[in-house]
Amino acid sequence: MSEVLLQQIERLAADAKTKSTQLHKGETMIEIEQSQLKNFITRLVNQIKIRHLSTITGLDLGQNIGIIYHFWRDRNTIHLKTFVPKTKPTTVSIVDIIPGAILYEMEIHDMLGVMFVGNPWMDKKLLLPDNWPDDLPPPLLKNVKPADIRKRLGLEVEKK
Amino acid sequence: MPRRRAGAAIPEMFRTMLEKPSTRAYPYQKVELPARFRGKLDIDPERCTGCQVCAMVCPAGVITMIDIGTRKVGDKELPVKRPVFELSTCIFCGECVDNCAFKALEMTKQFELATPHKEDLTMRKALTK
Amino acid sequence: MTEDKPPRKEESAGLMKYSAENLVPFGPIHPALKEPEYFKLVLEGEKIVEVIPRIGYVHRGLEKAAESRPWVQNMYMFERTCGICSFVHSLTYGQAVEGLTIYEIPRRAKFIRTIIAELERIHSHLLWVGLMGHWAGFETLFMWVWRDREVVLDLVEAISGNRIHKSMNAFCGVRRDMPEGMEDRIVERMKFLVDRANYYKGIVDTEETMLERTEDIGRVSAETAEKLCAVGPMARYVGLRRDIRLNDPYAAYDEVPFDIVTSKEGDVHALLKLRLDEMIVAANMVSYAVKHLPEGPIRIKIPPVIPAGEHSSHSEAPRGEIFYYVKSSGGRTPDRVKSRQPTMANLPTALEILKGQTIADVPVVLTAIDPCFGCMDRMSFLDIESNRQWTWSGEELRRYGINYYFPERMKMR
Ligand code: SF4
Ligand code: SF4
Repeated sequence: MSEVLLQQIERLAADAKTKSTQLHKGETMIEIEQSQLKNFITRLVNQIKIRHLSTITGLDLGQNIGIIYHFWRDRNTIHLKTFVPKTKPTTVSIVDIIPGAILYEMEIHDMLGVMFVGNPWMDKKLLLPDNWPDDLPPPLLKNVKPADIRKRLGLEVEKK
Repeated sequence: MPRRRAGAAIPEMFRTMLEKPSTRAYPYQKVELPARFRGKLDIDPERCTGCQVCAMVCPAGVITMIDIGTRKVGDKELPVKRPVFELSTCIFCGECVDNCAFKALEMTKQFELATPHKEDLTMRKALTK
Repeated sequence: MTEDKPPRKEESAGLMKYSAENLVPFGPIHPALKEPEYFKLVLEGEKIVEVIPRIGYVHRGLEKAAESRPWVQNMYMFERTCGICSFVHSLTYGQAVEGLTIYEIPRRAKFIRTIIAELERIHSHLLWVGLMGHWAGFETLFMWVWRDREVVLDLVEAISGNRIHKSMNAFCGVRRDMPEGMEDRIVERMKFLVDRANYYKGIVDTEETMLERTEDIGRVSAETAEKLCAVGPMARYVGLRRDIRLNDPYAAYDEVPFDIVTSKEGDVHALLKLRLDEMIVAANMVSYAVKHLPEGPIRIKIPPVIPAGEHSSHSEAPRGEIFYYVKSSGGRTPDRVKSRQPTMANLPTALEILKGQTIADVPVVLTAIDPCFGCMDRMSFLDIESNRQWTWSGEELRRYGINYYFPERMKMR
């Protein structure tokens, strides 16, 4: 079962001109181009029937922001990793394929400032406060210090 | 499927009315605490050597080390430190107790820690030696 | 009462001139809410047509904070994510980190983890059943269930030293062994809980108060739930066999026999019975695990530096799938920790269920997914066409209500 699934995934990855690496037992990591992403996920959902998206993780990787889609079925976890440049953090939304991704995309938009084109709620905030200043950088970027944010928002309390 | 009716719970209600109350008259009646209960932290100043391990492992930043003097090791002067505990932020995880190699720390069964003065929760016991 | 009646525009004393589309803010600070969350409910008459969530009022930046703390300290921090199912958070985070190391977890530790996780499930489900009774207006059930919940909490306290924040987990093991001579007591108490759960199942099946408020409410199709990535009981009550304990066993779940419970009915009443059934399964698992506890060490001490790499782990919390992803660059602190809680995954499904329900069912439906919200008392109306806002006084509201349901009584005046 698992072998068959892995072969299928490898074939899919080959079609998307990338390959899959085995991270740990039962965990597959696939790095994929942004342009191939939607096609890949559509085929993952419709052909291999891996329908459950656990979550989407956003990572600050220096030059880029990594976005990892975590899927699983039975004992297999598939991490689908794509990169968006920090200078132009825009990617495609997968809400039309997996509607359950809507809140995860909003979360990454709040926390890392990535724009998901096609997500209907991109203009709303989910986690950040309403009075979050527009010129403040997204808080989960590595160069943002919590102390600076607290100062900007006027929340800095004096340390005893 | 059984017939649906209002008041299916009434027999049980009468039964529980005859039972002893489930609650206890705390604080007049104390609860018996299990042997492993983790309450307020306590330190034995005699045993503490000031090794700083507890301050390093504490996840809540409860412990700060304070210099209380110096001691001579070879030809170097090294500071002697003792921990001070800010118990108001302690999360009762017991990590410091597990890691103290000299068994100086222990968790007591004391849990009634509410106080109007925050300073009451700062434990400076180890400094007095 | 709630059958479809067209809004009587002319008869409503001029209060409702335009199409009856209303916006009801729900939360964030509210006497009946346990956590501050905010939902914008767009209503049409009494029916909800759209729900817009706004969460994050208690967002403390755990993921950011984790980046500056040592690996072990993060475990205690993540354990405090939730005040109900705390153990499973540290378990999942621990598993994610353990995957990066070369060490094996001792078998006895795996069993102890299973026991605690199942005790926690019983406690969480009991809490939920009680709250369900509370919101459905059956306060007696709430009292009884919470009384029985003390049984589990006492056991957890005897094993771990604390009722909620157990602090039992360590990397590659558990910190405390099972106490000596607890076996009989646990088995006996579990039998008591199974009896109680069976009794409550009878109650929710026959008691009119409960049936009125829960039957035929909160329906969603299996396809929708699957598409919206529902997890835990929210996936199982529509018939999806999605349970990580079974699909991808962790701890000792591959050695303890059990079967997951699913339901076909797909309403809140089914959810109630499903959670009670799950409790019985969990109690039996605890009894089995206690009786078959293997001998051996409970912990391996590992160095504070975790090798570089990335790993993820998921496990079945009482509310559904918990997911942790960790990335290490070989230092004393993690590079990134991502944690996703089951309520976040179930929120899209809950919003979908709310659409088409009446406003009186909002507390019941929202409690069904287990984040627990109450009903509302403040109403402000946003007239969508004219963008005019106004508030009704209690008297006006009462008159409108009487007029809506009993127009003949108004005419008599
Ligand atoms: S209490 Fe223990 S761990 Fe802390 S400084 Fe003293 S000897 Fe070291
Ligand atoms: S019990 Fe935990 S939080 Fe409290 S002082 Fe010890 S290590 Fe720190």
